[in-house]
Amino acid sequence: MNQIIPVNKELEHKFITEFQEHQNIIHKVCRIYTTNQEAHNDLFQEITIQLWKAYPKFRGECKLSTWMYRIGLNTAITLYRKSKRSIQTQDFDAVLHKIESKDYDATEDEQIKLMYKAIYQLSDIEKALVFLYLEDKNYSEIAETLGISEVNARVKMNRIKTRLKTILNP
Amino acid sequence: MDELDLLKKDWKARNADFDNVSYNEIYKMLHKKSSSIVKWIFFISIAEFIFWGILNLFMPDSIYEIYDKFGLNTLLYTSFIINYLVIFFFIYLFYKNYKSICVADDTSTLMKKILNTRKTVNYYVYYNIIVYVILSILFNIVMFSKPDILIEILNPNHLDIKDEVLLRTMLIAQGVTLILVCGLLWLYYRVIYGILLKRLKRNYKELDNLND
Repeated sequence: MNQIIPVNKELEHKFITEFQEHQNIIHKVCRIYTTNQEAHNDLFQEITIQLWKAYPKFRGECKLSTWMYRIGLNTAITLYRKSKRSIQTQDFDAVLHKIESKDYDATEDEQIKLMYKAIYQLSDIEKALVFLYLEDKNYSEIAETLGISEVNARVKMNRIKTRLKTILNP
Repeated sequence: MDELDLLKKDWKARNADFDNVSYNEIYKMLHKKSSSIVKWIFFISIAEFIFWGILNLFMPDSIYEIYDKFGLNTLLYTSFIINYLVIFFFIYLFYKNYKSICVADDTSTLMKKILNTRKTVNYYVYYNIIVYVILSILFNIVMFSKPDILIEILNPNHLDIKDEVLLRTMLIAQGVTLILVCGLLWLYYRVIYGILLKRLKRNYKELDNLND
């Protein structure tokens, strides 16, 4: 397909430098959509490729970070074909294990672990909303990224909150 | 919600938890091959265009001789010409849709464009199946309306088989083939696109339902 991009070293260098600066965005997308390191790296790579393929068309209509959020999520939700090794569930504990307390009391720590566990049970779309919410995006940005109306983004977010409550307090 | 805000606090605290991917590692990634669903759809679609496009070329010559005896060749060649025109039209549509896919679009638009691209190929396959069924039925009607010629072709050595039995067997065989071909195609689409598009369709539906 579009693999044969004219070797433009300058563009490549510019992309890698900018990407490096913002790479945490992609790591965070991977964190919410994968549950083990291997899957994380796999998705990270696919998003990087997609970003690079789209980069020549990036005209700076929006901030680079906004553009990265969008392509990162789109790749995770739509384009990425989960490889068999990344099938979840049994990896929950591994993820939770990594989440060691960061100066919270025991109850808070427990609650945070439960929250992460609950989020992994959400659908791809719900995860996207939660992710953008955690990233401090407002509803207008969330709506624009996903291609839904602002009202619907709010409604959906409220439903997710209710769902999370149910998962946490069965 | 208290819990979600608590999570947000933790989420932010973990912002620096990731291993930094180095310049060289990123450079290497850029030269790796993507395994995106769009790429899969693209290659499978091309394979389908080729498959249906060249299917006609592999018909044994004897078939044309048989059709000639029934005076069906004109109809056959006309349908070939129309068929290739339609194929080019579909390839054009497919290419246009495929090119419009942009990963920087919003999620809903991106999904819609991918599904539309796929739909073009689906319509192309439906078209082929419908043409196949119609032509099969049409040819069979013509052939069975001239049973003398048909029997001559089916039993050139004049073996001791009753004409009725011969015709009936032929009819059943034709029917079974038709059903079998359609069944296999149906199965193929269930399996291939079941695997490939299930998640995409589910996600698209979830977004679409929100906008209703």
